[in-house]
This record gives sequence, C-alpha cells and structure tokens, in this order.
Amino acid sequence: EAIGLYNVGQSCCLNSLLQVFLMNIHFTGILRRITVPPHAAQKKKNVPYQMLLLLEEMQCGKQKAVSPLDLARCLSGYRVKLFVQHDAAQLFLTLWNLLKRQMEKPELIEDLSYLYTICVQEHLACQKCSFETKRNSSMLTLPLPVLNSSSRVLKTLEDCLRYFFHPEELTDHNMCFCEQCGRKTPFLQSMKLVHLPQTLTIHLKRFCFEKSACIYKLSHYLPFPQDLDFNAVLTENQCQADDNEKAAWQYELFAVVAHSGSTSFGHYCAYIRSLTECKWYCFNDSEVCQVSWDDVKCTYGHSNLHWGETAYLLIYMKKHPQ
Amino acid sequence: MAQWQEVQSLANACLEQVHQLYAGAALPMVVRQCLAAWIEDQNWRQAAEPLSSHARMLFHSLLALLGERLGSPGLGDEDFMLKHNLRKARRDLQAEFEECPEKFANVVANLLQEERRILRLGQAGAQRGAAPAPSTPPESDREQQIQRRLAEFHVALQEAERAFRHLEDLQDAFDFCFKVHYLPGEDRTSDPQYAQQVQALQAKLQILDRQRREVLAQLQQLLGRSETLRDFLQQELGAWRERQQRACLGAPADTRLRPLETWFTELGQGLFQLLQLLRALGELRQKVTYERDPLKAETPLLERRLRELLTYLLQRAFVVEQQPSMPNPCKRPLVLRTAGKFSARARLLVRLHDRNHHMEAKIHIDRDPPKIKGFRKFNILTSSSKTLLAGDSPQEGLICDFQYLTLKEQKDSRSGKGSKGAGEGPLAVTEELHLITFTLAYAYCGLELELETSTLPFVIISNNNQLSSAWASVLWFNMLSGDPKDQQFFSAPPLAPWPRLAEVLSWQFESVAERGLGRDHLLMLAEKLFGSKPSPESTVTWPKFSKDSASGFSFWAWLDGILGLLQEHLKQLWKDGLILGFVSRKQEKKLLKGKRTGTFLIRFSESVLGGVTCTWVEHPESGSPAFRAVVPYTAAELASLALPDIIRDYQLLVEENIPENPLRFLYPDTPRDEAFGPYYSQRQEGNLTEQKKYLNRRLIRVSSRQANESWQTEEELVAATENLETLQLQPDGLGTPRPGGLAPLQPRGPGTPQVTSGNLGTLQVMAGSPGMLQPSSPGTLQPRGSGTLQPGPQGPEPPQLLQVGSGVSEMLQPGIGELEPQLVLQLVPEGQGTLQVLPGVLGMLQHMGPGDQGTQQAGTGAVEPQLVLQLVPEGQGPLQVLPGGLGTLQPVAGDTGMLQPGAVEPGLVPEGQGPLPPELRDLEPLPQSPDMQELLESLVEELEPGSGTLATLEAAELMPDMLEAMDGALEGLGPALASSTALLDPRDPFLPQPEDAAVPAVSSLFATDFPPLHIDANDFQ
Repeated sequence: EAIGLYNVGQSCCLNSLLQVFLMNIHFTGILRRITVPPHAAQKKKNVPYQMLLLLEEMQCGKQKAVSPLDLARCLSGYRVKLFVQHDAAQLFLTLWNLLKRQMEKPELIEDLSYLYTICVQEHLACQKCSFETKRNSSMLTLPLPVLNSSSRVLKTLEDCLRYFFHPEELTDHNMCFCEQCGRKTPFLQSMKLVHLPQTLTIHLKRFCFEKSACIYKLSHYLPFPQDLDFNAVLTENQCQADDNEKAAWQYELFAVVAHSGSTSFGHYCAYIRSLTECKWYCFNDSEVCQVSWDDVKCTYGHSNLHWGETAYLLIYMKKHPQ
Repeated sequence: MAQWQEVQSLANACLEQVHQLYAGAALPMVVRQCLAAWIEDQNWRQAAEPLSSHARMLFHSLLALLGERLGSPGLGDEDFMLKHNLRKARRDLQAEFEECPEKFANVVANLLQEERRILRLGQAGAQRGAAPAPSTPPESDREQQIQRRLAEFHVALQEAERAFRHLEDLQDAFDFCFKVHYLPGEDRTSDPQYAQQVQALQAKLQILDRQRREVLAQLQQLLGRSETLRDFLQQELGAWRERQQRACLGAPADTRLRPLETWFTELGQGLFQLLQLLRALGELRQKVTYERDPLKAETPLLERRLRELLTYLLQRAFVVEQQPSMPNPCKRPLVLRTAGKFSARARLLVRLHDRNHHMEAKIHIDRDPPKIKGFRKFNILTSSSKTLLAGDSPQEGLICDFQYLTLKEQKDSRSGKGSKGAGEGPLAVTEELHLITFTLAYAYCGLELELETSTLPFVIISNNNQLSSAWASVLWFNMLSGDPKDQQFFSAPPLAPWPRLAEVLSWQFESVAERGLGRDHLLMLAEKLFGSKPSPESTVTWPKFSKDSASGFSFWAWLDGILGLLQEHLKQLWKDGLILGFVSRKQEKKLLKGKRTGTFLIRFSESVLGGVTCTWVEHPESGSPAFRAVVPYTAAELASLALPDIIRDYQLLVEENIPENPLRFLYPDTPRDEAFGPYYSQRQEGNLTEQKKYLNRRLIRVSSRQANESWQTEEELVAATENLETLQLQPDGLGTPRPGGLAPLQPRGPGTPQVTSGNLGTLQVMAGSPGMLQPSSPGTLQPRGSGTLQPGPQGPEPPQLLQVGSGVSEMLQPGIGELEPQLVLQLVPEGQGTLQVLPGVLGMLQHMGPGDQGTQQAGTGAVEPQLVLQLVPEGQGPLQVLPGGLGTLQPVAGDTGMLQPGAVEPGLVPEGQGPLPPELRDLEPLPQSPDMQELLESLVEELEPGSGTLATLEAAELMPDMLEAMDGALEGLGPALASSTALLDPRDPFLPQPEDAAVPAVSSLFATDFPPLHIDANDFQ
C-alpha cells in the first residue's frame, strides 16, 4: 500500500516528486540495481542510494508515513534546499540529473535515459530557398504552453500538444540568417517527434508573465485524458518515426503533480495510479488516501477558482512497454 | 456500525484472513473483542509516533480497563476460560510492551488498518455478489457516490479534529515545559541539567512541529476531496437546472431540490467546520510559534483556498427554485402580463444561517438591460426586498418567496408613450426577453458575501392574446439557447433541429393532456413542416415555426389551437389514446381503407384553428370506399356538447334511409360504445318529483346528406360554407330542387307530405297545408311498428299516414345531399319517448328564425354538423332519433301533460337574450311576438293531459290555429326577414327550415341546465 512522506520543511514539492519516482516500478527497477557506496560519508551524499533507502523504508510497511529527512539533507548538499519553495518541473530536472550523474554504472544511466528521454528533431527551413537545417535533440519533459500565441486559452491537452508541434514562421525580427541566400530570410521552424519514452513527463506551463516582472498562475480549465494516443494527436508531418515506434505511442496517465495556491506560495500534492494495483492514490505529504479518477479530474482547473489544485506535471506511461 | 462488529459479520473467506491476522499478533483477539469500542476510539497512529507520551497513556489505560473487566461481576464464573485468557493476555502485554508502548501503539494501529482493508475487500466482494439482486434502490450511481463521499468527508473531518485536539495537548505540554524550564535573563548555560532540559524541549518542539505539519497535510487532503465533492454537486446542480428548464417547457422532470439541499448543506457545514479549525490553528500559532513554523505560511494559504471554495459553493447554492410565473391553467411559466400578479422564489441550498442576523434578499428586473433599441423598461411595483426566511421548521430551508409581484412599464418621457410602437424596436414584444435577478447579503461565521442568481428570461405581455406567441418564444429560447442570460437571443434566433423540436412539442401535449406525441404524430407534423419525411438534420427556422402564415395561421398557432382544445375539452380522450389526432389525409385513407364500413377515427383539423373532426369510411356496394369527415368541431361547439356525446348521438340523415349513426367502430375496430362508453355523459337520473316541472333535454348532432353526394375535402367545405352566406337570402333558389337533388324525395303533392326518416326532428312543422297534417285517421298515427312511422320514399306506408313535412326532403335536396347543420329542438315528454306527439312543437321552433335552411343546403357535398336539441325524457335510456324507435313512442296522456306551456315557454321565448350575432339580432322581435306565444301555447294546449291520444293532433284542431299563428308570427318578422317569411309560406312545399331562428330559444334553454351556449353564426354553417 502507498506510504506517505512527512513534510520536513516545505518539502511538499520534493515529496510529490519522490512519490512519482518511487511509485514507478520501471524506475525502482533501475534504482535497485545501483552500487552501494562503500563509505558512510559517500552514502550520505549519494542521492540514488538515499532514495533507495527511503524506498526500502517505505516498503517495509508498518508505518503510514516515513520521513525523507536524510534524503533531504543529502539533496541540500546539492543546492536543493529545504524550507524553500521549488518549482516541480525544475526540481524534477535537478533530481533526475543528480540521479543520472550519481548512478555510475553506464547501463543504468542508459536505462534511466531511455526511460525518460523524449527525442525530437528540430527543423529550420528557409522560406526563400528551402534550405533546411535539422538538429536532433532530447528533452526530459514536453513543456507545453497552455495559451496560444494570441494568449487565447487552448481547450485540451491535445490542443496544447498540437500547438507545441505546430510549425512556427519566423518573420520580421525573428528572421534567421540563411547561408544559402546569404541574408536574413523568413524561416519555418518546426519540431518533429522521433521517439517517446516509457515514462513521458508533460509540463503544463500554467503561468503567465505579464508586464515583465509579474508572474501569475493560469488556473483555467484544461482537461487531459486518461488514455493518450499520440498518433491521433499529431499529423504525419509532425512525426519522424517508423511504424514500430509509432505503434508504441499509446499512453495511459500514471501521475499528476498538482499545485494549489499562487505562484508566490502554494502546495504540491501528487495523484498517482499504482501500477501494481491500478488504483489512484492522492499523496499530500504524510496523508495518503485512495481516490478515484473523479478526484484526479478535479485538477483540470477552473476558470473561477484560483486557489484550488491544478495539474502541473502530467506523467504518462506507455501501455505496452517495449 | 463499529468496525469490530462489521469484521465479525464478514463472509467466511474474509474471516479467515482476520484469524490469520490475529494468529501471530501481539494483541490477542480476546482483548480486541473485549475492549473493541474503546480500542477503536483511540488514535493509535498518533500514539505510535516516536517519543509520544500518548502511547504510554493509552497502554496503561488498556491494562487498567482489562483489570476492571477481570474484576467485574459480569464475567463471573460463566466464562472461566475467557477470564483466564484475558488475564494471560494482560500479563503478556505488560511484559512485552511496558518499556516501549509506542511499539504497542504501532501494532494496534496496523492491526486496525489491516482490519479495515479486509473489511473493504469483503464488503466490495459482498456487493458484487449482491449486485444481481435488484435489492438496491434505484439511486443513481452519482447519488451514491456523493453520499459515500460526504460520509467519508465527515469521517476525515472528525479525524482532523481529533488530530487537532492532540496537537492542542502537545502544544499545552510543550508550552508548560517551556515556561517552566526556559527562563530568559537567567544564564544557566553552565548547568548541565539545563542543557538536558533544552534538549528535551527541542525534542518536544520537533514533535509539535511534526504534528502541526500532519494536521496541515490532513487539511490539504480534506480540501482536495471537498473539491471533488464540489464538482460533483455542481454537476448535479447543473443537471437540476436543465431539468428545471425542461420542466418549464412541460417535460416530465423531477425538480425536487431536497437531495441537493441536503448535500450542499452537509458540504457547507463541513467546510465551515474546517474554517473554524483553521482559525483555531491560527490561534495556536498565536500562542506558540517558532522559526519556520509551518502554520505561519500554510494556514493563510489554506484559508484562502477554503474561503474561495465556500464562496463558490454558496454562490452556486443560491438558485431560483420557482421561475417567475402567473397562475394560468396551461402551466406556462415565464410569460408575465403587466398588471397581472406573479410570483418567483429563490432558495439557498446551503441551509446555514445565523438566527440573530437577518439576511436581506432583493429582486431587480433587467439590472443589466441589453442594448436593444426600444427595449421596454419595467418596474416591479411591489416591495423589492425581503428578509430571507428560515421557515418555521428547518425542513423548509432558506427561501425568499416573492409573491403578488406586479410589473409596470416605465413611461419613457422622451418617446412620450410607454408602449413600444410598431417597428420602433427590432424585436416584437413577445421576442423581448427580460430577467429578474435576486441578490442576497449572506453572512455566516464571519464570511460575508453578496450572492446573486437570475431567473430564466421571460416575456412580458400586456394582453392575453399574446400568450400563445409569447410561449412560442419561451419554448424557442429554452430549447436552443446556450446562455441562460442571453437577452438578445431573438436578434438572431437559431434554427431548431427537428428531433429537438419534436421532443419539445411532445412535452406540450404531455403537460396539457398527459400524453405526448407518438412517432406517427411527429411524422405527420414533420411532413407538414418540411413537406417530406424529416431527416435528423432537418431544421426549422423561428419565422417558419411562429410567423409564416400561408394558411392563415402559423404552425405554432395551429398547434397551440389544438393544445387549447385538448386542454379544455379533450384531455381524457387524448390521454387515453382515443384521438388519433395528427393524421394526414393520405395516411387517414390508408388506415381506413381496409376497415369495415363505419370505422372512424378522430383527428385534428388542419384547416381550422383548434378543430377536431371524425372521419369514417363507407364501402358502397360497388366502387371504391368513400371517406367522410364532419366539419371540424371547435371549442365553441364542444363547450355545449362533449365529443363522446357527439359521437354517440351523431346522426346522419339520409333521405332514403333511416337516420343512422355512421360512426360505428373506432379505428382500428373497437365498437363505438365500447370505446367511448366510459366517457358518455350521464343521463340525469334526477328525482322525478323534483324535476317534474321541466323536461330534460339533450343536445345531439346530426348531419344529413344525399345518397349520391361526392366526397369533398374540408377545405372545399369551408369554401362552400362561405358560399352559403351569399346564398342565404336567395329565396328563389330554395324552392327549386337542384340538379342532383333527390327526385324521388320530392313531395308527390302538397297534400302528401312525407315524414322522412331524418325529418323527425327537423321538419314536422313543414306541413305545408292544414290538410297535409291531417292524418286520415287517428289510427294511422298510432304506430304499430316502426315501419309505419317511417314513411320513406321506399316505405310501403299507406298514403294516409301522417306525413309530416314533406318539406324536409325537399329542403335537403337542394343541398345535393350534403348534411347541413340543422337546429332541431325536440321536446320529449318525460318518462317516454313519445316523439311523434311533438312534431308540431318542434316545427314551431324551427320556424322561429330567418335562417332558412334552404340557403344552407347550397351545394356542399360534405356532411355538416347539425345541432339538434332534444328534450330528453327524464329517466329515459339513450334516446334514439332512429325511426325504429318512433313506433314505440306513443303519446300518452301523462306524458304529454308534461308539455305544459309553463315548462316549454320559458325555453322557447327567452326574455333576456344574450348578445347575438348581427344576423340573429334581426330575430329579436320574433320571440316577443305575442302571436308566437299564442301559437306555442296553443300547440302545447293540444298536448295537454286528457288529449291522451294522437287524435288530439288532428289537423282539424291543431293545424288551423297553428298556421294562423304562424302566419301572424311571420308577418311580424319585419322587412328584414321578408325573404324568410316568404319561405315560410305554408303553401310552399319547399319550406325551408329556418334553423337559426331557434337559436335564441336554445340559448335561453341552456341557461337552465347547460352552460350558456355561445352562439356564433359560424356554429351553424
């Protein structure tokens, strides 16, 4: 059964992410294969090891919650401070990179990368001479805008994905230098999807910068599906993958990291579907309770309610692992 | 039920798990059983925290309770073993956990948690097993979910409160220690004991901090779950709003608010409790705070979130329970008339209020009026504010009930007139939508809000004749508008998809007469609208629905006319499915073609507003079947005679046949009386002694036609009846048999008037000459059999038979056999159907007006309704006008005696006539004519008791008087009626039946027993 994590000082963000990691059996499968550092001092500083310890403690059951204090201390050595508000997307990248860096074994690093990395190909084409440059790059999250270029609300997660992969014309100030034309020309910038990982993290950019400094949260309604088929969302043009790869682009929602409050202060909690029991749980630090899809749907957001829970990170899991 | 009890009631498979659970458990089952309630009441999880003092306290309480139990007499000797086991358990527990009570607390907490898990599984399994059995109430899944979640929310709230109290205890303990040991200003750093104390204090603070974070996490979780509940309730409320909107349109929908009110109140109560808890947490922080105190940042955050949630909940919870409506019989809300009283009611579903604080509700009309040119502005005349009442019993909830409101239009000083001139604004009055907004100043538990809610848009009319089209607007809006506040809806009214419209139309019938429209009905309506079979994509425009009036009225006006007719007169028949209603003519023929002669159906007229008609089929011996329909009956006719009675008594006067009721089987094949029997009005079985003074009477309808008439459609008929009016005053045509007239029916001579089957009621007076009315012998008048009294053309009757009024047949002839309306007043003596005694009287009645029948017969081939007023003998069975019955109707002294002038006259000579149509006004002198009265009297005198036999009817006595009187009466009719008088010339064998003349008499007759008959010239066309 799911075990909570005590809040050890504004650690709700960390706790939520840890739950998302540790409830993911594909991740814990990798975590369990790490080499244990020989010395006590190294143990204290090793993030994967501390995480494994925490996992063990949680799995020995008997307690409704455990304290991630040791891991938090360990992380604070890497400038992940306690009693500081974190952005979940950012903290996720930091944690993941720390894990990758400290796992040491190359095969584990490869597995970890394979589990989380999204591969895309960026295209930049001159509109004058059709000169094209391509670049492969990888990402850990898909940072999806929730507003379009004219600040209109995008209606669904699928719309956000389409908008993200929609080619963008670079004109006027944004024109690029074309080697072939020898001058600045309008370009078409597009992104094609090459590979999607087992665990796909989507970051909803639910914030908005207005008048420079002021950031505020966008809490409007944005529904996301339990089942997501990228083939149904993206066009042929937006993919650069073989049929085998595409066939595996069938996803099921695994977790939602939700935020309540404002940009300046808030609270994170995580809704995670146990992969073994296929039940949803809600993790609010030390409080864990079984919930239903209806509860998860409450994180869609609401245009009239600004302080409630809204989904911030969506973690989808491939239905048929390759 | 307590957990342990529930565990024990589990199925065996699950119980096995429980036994396994306790097999190796440090807590023996016997202790669990013995102290079940107490154990479940304690917070073991909290006690299991490291360094918790709570654990020790609990452990010792448990041991003490066990000791008590062992010493109690209840156990006595009867359960020696139990006592032994308890004693052993107590010893073991003490030995094992004395030093580490936290461990014991953890064991118990885990055991309880595991029990709950087994319980959940077991109960889920039991439910799955029980699911096939339909024992569960038909509660929706969502309702159950809401109830379950509310219960869970309540439990979680209690847990949070318990955790809070524990936190309070911890804080008090810490505070105490802190105040004892920490003495500022005193330097005790060198004191080793002090360092120890500070360390202990530090540890206590850690525990306090953790407990604070725990409580906060619990509250976060609670708020998260309540957000799901909020969404659920909002969805249910949305569904209720839709139901209410549909119910406004007449759909059968459950608009009870009680379940929603209960849920909203429960959730609201829980959230207010949570708010109190948060405030109490804030107070704890006031007493003890420290660096990085989680309460400092998170409590305000939680409170903002909670306040937002509560505000949202309360705003949704303020609803219009009763949309503005005036009392009207059609149950049509949202149409208000200026100066008419209306009411509206709002309700706050969260039934929480402070009894000491009165909350005021206000109403505003068109607070934010749309910018439409010419948009009328209104004031609510009655007081627009009211104190929200809690009702005498808490059951009633929080309502603000505005009753007896009236609207008054604001006079616009600039335009100089209040009402909108034609074409002034872009919208018609009935397309102008108005809104009433309720506001409520809500205050409870420190939360102050202004709540508001709006009604659905309504239409304000100034005259009742706008009601129908106003209702069309309401239908269109509520059927199609996505925005319930869109007052500019009719600036660009959308198209209605046919399936949606069909549903709404069906509701209209359902609400008026408890039976919606069937597939075939809707198909006919669609074909009428679209001219072809509808597809699911077919749409109707607003003008096509409510405005286009190629046929003289719009589709909606036509339908609403039918609804009005149903509402007033045909509710029961429609409800019971006896009215086929919407059948196209083509379909009608198809249905009736294969049925027996006399099979009929009832359908609504397509050409007459609010008309209903019967169509029947006849199969002639050769040729194709003929379909005949009566000129549609409208509310005016049905007001005097109900449709089932019309059907029962309907007569077709056929020259060559006895009068018959052509309506024999209701489609498909139910015998008429079987189908309509239950609806026939009861004959008055009145008390003889009491009602002796008056005859009873009955109104029936007949039609007459000729044998060779051709089928005509109703439209043609309408045209023909219009022609009639022009024909009316053309006496020349009357006497002349028209081509196609019944030659055989023509009187063989002035001296031999015939009694035709149909003329019983109609033509008795027709006796052209005294001689005609003289039966050659009294004996001939005594019917020995029905045959003798039915001297039809083919009848073998002896020439000397009483042949009253050959004119009848002639009269009918010009009409080429169409059965034109006739008004026949029959007086039937009490106790018997001595119909033949009365011809004279009847005839007189028919002569009383100028409306000559001859004119009406003018060549309409269709069967027209006739009004026959019969005075039905009291206590008699169904009076048949059939000639067959006549034979039995012998004049008996006692019966005729009933026909005393006193009884008859008032009816025949009304003194106070109601307003009459212009044509009838000409007749006014007539009833007052003394000659006429004399005539009547003389007639009646002839029928006085003592005369006994038909001999009294001998022409020698009767006719001269009568005719003289008639002459006199007719001369008195004045120049306006010259043509009529001419027609009434007794020597004219083609004497018309001036049926209209009888109208005044009829109208006053009705005044006694029947509701006043509204006479309209149209009735007799």
